[in-house]
Amino acid sequence: MSVLLFRQPLPNVTRPQMEADVVIVGGGPAGMACALRLSQLIDNHNGKNPDSPLSKENIYVLEKAREIGQHCLSGALLDPRSMRELLPGFEKEAPLDAEVSQEAVYFLSRHSKFKFPVTPPPLRDHGNYVISLNRFVKWLGGKVEEAGITIFTGFAGSELLVEGDRVLGVRTDDKGVDKDNQPKGNFEPGYDLRAKVVILAEGSRGSLTKQLIGRFQLDRDRNPQTYGQGIKELWEIPAGRVAPGQVIYTMGWPLTSKEYGGAWIYGGKDNIVSLGFVTGLDYPDPRLDPQRVLQEFKRHPFVKGLLEGGKMVRYGAKSLPYGGWWSVPPVSGNGWMILGDSAGFLNSQRLKGIHLAIKSGMLAAETAFAGMLKNDFSATTLAGYGRAVDSSWIKDELWKVRNFHQGFEHGFWHGMFHAALQQVTGGRGLHARYAAHAGHRRLKKLSELPPDGGGEAHLLGNAKGDGKLTFDKLTDLYHSGTKHEEDQPAHLVIHDTDICNARCVQEYGNPCQHFCPANVYEMVEDPAVSCGKRISLNPSNCVHCKTCDIMDPYEIITWVPPEGGGGPNYDGM
Amino acid sequence: MADTILVVVEQREGKLNRVSWETLTAGQGIAADMGWTLEAAVLGKGASGLASEIAAKQLAKVYAIESPALEPYTPDAYVFALKQFLASHQPRLVLMPHTYQVRDFAPQLAAALKRALISDCIGYKHEGGKLLFTRQMFQGKFAADVSFSGEPPWFATFQNGAFRGDQVKAGSAAAPIETVTIQIPEGTVRNRPHEVFKEAKQAVDLTQAEIIVAVGRGIKEQKNIELAKQLAEALGGEIAASRPICDAGWLPMDRQIGSSGQTVAPKLYLALGISGAIQHIVGMKGSRTIVAINKDSEAPIFEVADLAAVGNLFDIVPPLIEAIKKAKAGA
Repeated sequence: MSVLLFRQPLPNVTRPQMEADVVIVGGGPAGMACALRLSQLIDNHNGKNPDSPLSKENIYVLEKAREIGQHCLSGALLDPRSMRELLPGFEKEAPLDAEVSQEAVYFLSRHSKFKFPVTPPPLRDHGNYVISLNRFVKWLGGKVEEAGITIFTGFAGSELLVEGDRVLGVRTDDKGVDKDNQPKGNFEPGYDLRAKVVILAEGSRGSLTKQLIGRFQLDRDRNPQTYGQGIKELWEIPAGRVAPGQVIYTMGWPLTSKEYGGAWIYGGKDNIVSLGFVTGLDYPDPRLDPQRVLQEFKRHPFVKGLLEGGKMVRYGAKSLPYGGWWSVPPVSGNGWMILGDSAGFLNSQRLKGIHLAIKSGMLAAETAFAGMLKNDFSATTLAGYGRAVDSSWIKDELWKVRNFHQGFEHGFWHGMFHAALQQVTGGRGLHARYAAHAGHRRLKKLSELPPDGGGEAHLLGNAKGDGKLTFDKLTDLYHSGTKHEEDQPAHLVIHDTDICNARCVQEYGNPCQHFCPANVYEMVEDPAVSCGKRISLNPSNCVHCKTCDIMDPYEIITWVPPEGGGGPNYDGM
Repeated sequence: MADTILVVVEQREGKLNRVSWETLTAGQGIAADMGWTLEAAVLGKGASGLASEIAAKQLAKVYAIESPALEPYTPDAYVFALKQFLASHQPRLVLMPHTYQVRDFAPQLAAALKRALISDCIGYKHEGGKLLFTRQMFQGKFAADVSFSGEPPWFATFQNGAFRGDQVKAGSAAAPIETVTIQIPEGTVRNRPHEVFKEAKQAVDLTQAEIIVAVGRGIKEQKNIELAKQLAEALGGEIAASRPICDAGWLPMDRQIGSSGQTVAPKLYLALGISGAIQHIVGMKGSRTIVAINKDSEAPIFEVADLAAVGNLFDIVPPLIEAIKKAKAGA
């Protein structure tokens, strides 16, 4: 029997120390926009003040992917508002697939579809662009590098260096550690990057952000963050079915009124279609499998008609923060700022966060620049970022939908009622602040659920797949291009596996096997364990969506970054 | 310009890398199809010794490129030597095996000459007078045919297992060998190689095995690995496994076949209790003959198997071992 050992920074290792001015953790849209804006401000300053120039040499972006953009995944529709502020005229050179030309919203029942006569205003997308986020970020990262800012690809932030109330820097991942947490021949200890300011732009459920929130109790008085899980497939389909720039949203089937979520279908270039399903990570039945939800969705006659004869070419998954304005933690403190999805800047009604991530990155850059000018990155100086968010259109946009997702806590029809009411009351609805509950707390125990799944039976358990229209998880996963160094400790840290093997198996039936879109978690037969099964991990399958960290009912899983360079290899996603 | 194909073979410490034969097979095929001349080059100290081994094959000429600075291998020395050699010999096409060493210097060489490199090809085609090279895309899901449009020399590398090294044709008489000495000026080589080391664990090179017996989850318990080992021994093959087996530590990780392990193409691949997830299939689908034993008749491994046995491997394997032993004793 193999013993599970988990990743931890090696003790008693002398680590190289490196001084930095600004360290941005995460090279997604938020981090890249932050780096680029900061560079612009410095260039501008240096042009005007040749005698007192600021240096960009000690500004670093850490990115755990081997290449820029490789871990970025989204639908994606880009609202160009913030990009126009960052790089006026960006449309001429950025990789945009198509401008949105037509949109439609459908409600699906098991066998039919009903088109909304009017597209609800939040889902009107004229003027937005269909993009591949990973290609877009790759392009944006190129701009950052051209500007003279160093991006360390293949390096993850594994720990925050903290002293008192101040964040002093970031420790990067140890490389060349074997399964037993022993250094291998190619061992390289992580760096201690000592930074004047650490900017966290890790995306949804950032692992350092989680450390920070826990340590300083930043979630005090906030609504708990709630999440969705987006499963995406890229399809190449026969010409003429979905036009470039065509946008389709669906609600309803295969979900029932008990789950929150919906699908998107975006037409890109060259008959490539982005299709995916977002399932709210607050469903009641622990046997539900979001990857299966997408497979069931594709079997609907409407969707099947679009895809039949086509080919699935790529797969990926990510979590996204739904909680909205009331869940956003304080975004700055002594030596730190939080951006984008890590902060929860996502409009759950419009299903958009890229433009907000970029805007938050720009605002943080402006504050960091102010800090550089006076060499002061105290909580007082950095509070300027929070104020800038409050007086920017980020807050305008999120304030209007501050109660949106919470309205759906009691199901689809309640949600539609609250959403309509909020629409006419400027986002308020029935209460000034709708409360929220963490999604994993809404999971029901198996004993409270019908053994056969009842009305949800078609969503439960892992998909089998026909190999043409629908796929089992491993086949889907293969199309994410995911790769990790195999000989390393598990980066899914389970704090007590006895809970998995003794309690969870009885109470919830090990939902990790289902909510993980990458087959990382498995229950394998083991006669030595009392229930006959024990948890086994396939960490090298992980697509870094963080769902396990979010959805595990006992809160015993912590996702930490694996050795840098590992992960999905998204292309066109 | 002469229509010549130059195969650059690979050696280390005076030993040819076996995959070089595969590239020579490819070179012979292209030369026959296109009506071009095939030549080969071997670099490094003691190149002339190896050159005679190569000269026995069907080709026009072998060059032994020698220089003290070529030993030990450095990308700078190789690029310098080949650049100079190519300037005077001007072949149309330069073929190399897609090894770690070639991956190290070939891009630099092609870039220095401002010529195109099509890397990691799995085959070639001659269609409508055009020479096409086949490369895998989307991790093997698609194959793309690529052709050169720029000026020669054209560079291409072939993936391990793309051709059969044992099919390289012998020549009727030994080909002439020319020793070319290249002066590599001091300061050219900026790399200073340290001692060659292998990862702590001794790696098994399964790509060189002709027969592989691979086990999957169907083997149930660690102690049953012994049964598969006996079968491998009877056949004179190597033992390998799918990921869960190596992950459990039942076999070392360097015996793992698949997208996160080794890619192999033996003559015979015996899959015992392997369901055949796509991650495993991509690592072995190039095998000449695939025999699968699995109790689940719907296991995807059967889609790629040439011979399928649906049944309990514990019933099938022991008599199989006996039969093989008997057959071998009788032969």
